[in-house]
Amino acid sequence: MLPEPYQRAVIAIVVAVVLCLPVFSGDYFLHLMNLSLIAVIGAIGINLLTGYCGQLSLGQASFMAIGAFSTAILAQRYGMPFFVAIPASCCAGAAVGFLVGLPALRFRGIYLAITTLAMHYAIIYVLTNYQAIVGPSASAGITVPPPSIEGFKLTSERGWYYALLIAAAAVLMFSLNLARSYIGRAWVAIRDRDIAAETAGVNVPRYKLLAFTISAALAALAGSLGAYFTTVVTVEEYTLELAIIYLAMIIVGGMGSVVGSVFGAVFITLLPFAVQRAFDALPWHFGTGIFGVQEAAIGAAIIGFLLLEPDGLIEIYRRIATYFERWPFRYREIKPSGAR
Amino acid sequence: MELLVSILALGSTYALLAAGIVIIYKASRVINFAHGELAIVGAYVFHSAGFLTGTTLTALSLFTAIVVAATASALFGVVIYFALMRRLLGRPTFVAAMVTIGLAIILKAAIVVIWNSRSVGIPIGRQALYNFAGGGRISWIDVISVLTCAAAFAALAIFFQLTRLGRQFRGAAENPLLAAQRQVNINLILAIAWSVAVFSAALAGVLFGSRSMLSPQSTIIGLSGLTAALVGGLDSLRGAAIGGLLVAAATYLTARLISPTLAETVPFLILLIVMSWRPWGLFGTVEEINRV
Amino acid sequence: MYNVRVIGTAFVVLAAACAATVGARAQDYKIGYITDLSGPLAGSYTPTWQGFELYIKALNGRGGVNGRKVNVTIDDDGLRADRAVAAAKKQVESNEVLGIFGLSLSSTQAPVIAEMQKVGVPVASTFSAILDALPPAKPDYFSTGVTFEVAGEAIGTLQKRIVPSGKVVGITFDSVGGRAANNHNKLAVEKEGYTWDEVLFPVRTADFTPFAQTAAAMKPAMIVGHYGAEQNIGVIAALRGAGYAGPYIIAAYGASEDTARQAAAQAGSGENIYMVSRYAVPTDNAPGMSDLAAAAKKYGIANPTSMHVTGWVLGMFAEQALKNCGAECTREGLDKAMQSVKLDTKGLTGGPIEMSADNHYGPTYWRLYHWETDKFVGVGDWLKKTGLEFPAK
Repeated sequence: MLPEPYQRAVIAIVVAVVLCLPVFSGDYFLHLMNLSLIAVIGAIGINLLTGYCGQLSLGQASFMAIGAFSTAILAQRYGMPFFVAIPASCCAGAAVGFLVGLPALRFRGIYLAITTLAMHYAIIYVLTNYQAIVGPSASAGITVPPPSIEGFKLTSERGWYYALLIAAAAVLMFSLNLARSYIGRAWVAIRDRDIAAETAGVNVPRYKLLAFTISAALAALAGSLGAYFTTVVTVEEYTLELAIIYLAMIIVGGMGSVVGSVFGAVFITLLPFAVQRAFDALPWHFGTGIFGVQEAAIGAAIIGFLLLEPDGLIEIYRRIATYFERWPFRYREIKPSGAR
Repeated sequence: MELLVSILALGSTYALLAAGIVIIYKASRVINFAHGELAIVGAYVFHSAGFLTGTTLTALSLFTAIVVAATASALFGVVIYFALMRRLLGRPTFVAAMVTIGLAIILKAAIVVIWNSRSVGIPIGRQALYNFAGGGRISWIDVISVLTCAAAFAALAIFFQLTRLGRQFRGAAENPLLAAQRQVNINLILAIAWSVAVFSAALAGVLFGSRSMLSPQSTIIGLSGLTAALVGGLDSLRGAAIGGLLVAAATYLTARLISPTLAETVPFLILLIVMSWRPWGLFGTVEEINRV
Repeated sequence: MYNVRVIGTAFVVLAAACAATVGARAQDYKIGYITDLSGPLAGSYTPTWQGFELYIKALNGRGGVNGRKVNVTIDDDGLRADRAVAAAKKQVESNEVLGIFGLSLSSTQAPVIAEMQKVGVPVASTFSAILDALPPAKPDYFSTGVTFEVAGEAIGTLQKRIVPSGKVVGITFDSVGGRAANNHNKLAVEKEGYTWDEVLFPVRTADFTPFAQTAAAMKPAMIVGHYGAEQNIGVIAALRGAGYAGPYIIAAYGASEDTARQAAAQAGSGENIYMVSRYAVPTDNAPGMSDLAAAAKKYGIANPTSMHVTGWVLGMFAEQALKNCGAECTREGLDKAMQSVKLDTKGLTGGPIEMSADNHYGPTYWRLYHWETDKFVGVGDWLKKTGLEFPAK
């Protein structure tokens, strides 16, 4: 996997930094990191569906909502522990993803997007009714108790950081393997030219459905973890804007790249806070309208990356990595046997 | 009867929005997701220009508002083309569509920054023209909406059918490279397309704001316009008109007769049904569905 | 490699931004304010924040409280719970605030309150409150604002002053807050002998005509609208267009005179428009209003509305809490101080704001207003409510 010793050193340093981050960060920064980690899981999910398999889906927010509400119901109403509630929520998400994927077999492109949008509205409608009629305090949402084992409760930012790190790492390994497997290749073939893929022997409907199912399960996982993390579930959180933000994450990170999803998720999650920090540091005092700029920043990021770097952050990373790999030379070495 | 008038009035606004989307699609195969935002921003500009000097709309301020909004929207369309869309020529249209999503986000944020999210109404033509026995009424604005949209459609139809530039549109859309080599001025066509589209969006926005109200959330009408365009066929103006009326009718009839809360979802269901039957829209050109 | 240069410059700028800090003097009281300043309801929450900010500026102009000035950190939550929580954590950690004020829609409040309870930071919300403030009150949460359920009941009782009987139709969003308000409104009017019907529309509706027509077709004696400011403009216009000329009551969750004026212009007539609000409108000429008007003039707010009053009163609440807390104020101290606030609102609402250990909401006062040409005029006296009459679900 990592032929050069320096590559192993770099990976070791990155892992060390990531693991020791809580030591020199405050609670607030850790909180932002935790939000990013949850976003990473969701971003990988949508990247598998839209980036690898080419199925443009606007239903991300509704899948996350399914995960969150399943968790809320199981944990709060039935008192299930988290190691039951979380997998169950993923299954719920997978089931809904499968159902949403069925019409997807018929449509492509914008029509597919509109189909998923219709499903999104339908799901949100159901959940709104649920929260209003069945939920304990209608307007304040459903409270979710923190995950606990044997009385140990996960409530601190540090604890969450490590827990989410494990979850994100697991999802990352799973997805990287998936992308390298026959399934991943089939998806890419479908994305590029599904008719050609079919003639090459790929069972297109099966793999499309698989993409929807897995993507929705991951989104539900993100929603479920989010529910435990914020301890309150409200349907108002899961809007169309949220789905577009996830699309922005994979555009910025790099569509069709699992590692790119990580970059994109962290970037988009932290961007509004960074913009605000920048404004705080400026000496002038602006009116409240300036907060709109935080919103605009995501739109600007989408446009900026599409115009200047359409392959996303992962491409920038690759370029930097290649630069250092070759340095101080400009070209790669040609080995006698022709191997790289 | 009252229902019919409402459907016509709203439907004509949706049809105008759909027409703007169709124009851009006809010229460049790009689906413009920012159309709703363009419409509302245009309407806000109109409102600000009209109320710049006082708290009521006089004939002079109305005229100023119309002139300002018209020129600003037309110019803005050209700016969007040269600054953004031109750089995406030759790339897959999916990319351009994503850029319009980014533009939509920025425009919506602009309403917050520039107008402080204040919701406003455009009080034009609110007086009753005719009162129904049962209690409803037709306002001047309903009539103005329908007539303006009809006029706009007529103008567009003439442009596309009878002028040379209009016919070149489709050539530019199908194969820009080839059309350019045949001395079709792609930049001119696309700039005109965007300019006309943004202008029609602003017009639709003003009409909408007169019948209802404007707020950053009103940009959702773009989605209705897009649905109408898809139902009618993305490259058919006739389809845009029919699609607009269909979407309006579906929304109204659902809200009145079935259940108000489902009114949001029903247009999508109509779209799904139409697409299952004729994927390229009711009046669109039959072709492989490989669009974004 | 221009991309690398661009990225590099961006990093440098960001690093510099992080390095620089905007400092407050050590002796200032530090408090935080989080609300929706850019999202769907920014039109309502921005003036509320402006009212609060006005009060603090005027307070600092007088020398502050206990000899110390008050420094407010403002953050935007975009009506999203995750951003609200992140902003709260930032304010607690980086800005070292003693308490957090404001907040936005009820759906964003619960997570913030949960987080702040963990660190013992008191939270005082304004317009939009949740039931946690009512007895038995949860710790660290207070509110001087409007709870959907209480407002619904208040409106139900006040409706008697307009039309004594008949059918009342409630229009609201298909959202949890809207339904809660409608439910309590229904319970209150049915107790008074009215019949009730309702129309719910999807949250993201832009055109209200079909819903207005449905409501008008029910031939009601009165219609109440439970939503934010902007929907009122569209709904009133649509109702008049549908032929309903009877009384329409704006439930003031963010609506104000600006709303009514726009609505009247859109509808072609301002007849029969009413509003129920917890806070006074500027034209009420309450004694406290002159302070507000003076501050507004001094600090450049053109036309203060009842939403500014809402924020202003929260500012008054903050001042008294800090005063009670004393010169050496801690978060715990502020929490205790808030529990003992007895605030004379100088007529800005119908009576004093009174908190206690068990009740962080206190009795509330509601007034019915009638729109006359260009301003709201009160109809009858303030209605006092000491809690929920009907049990919340």
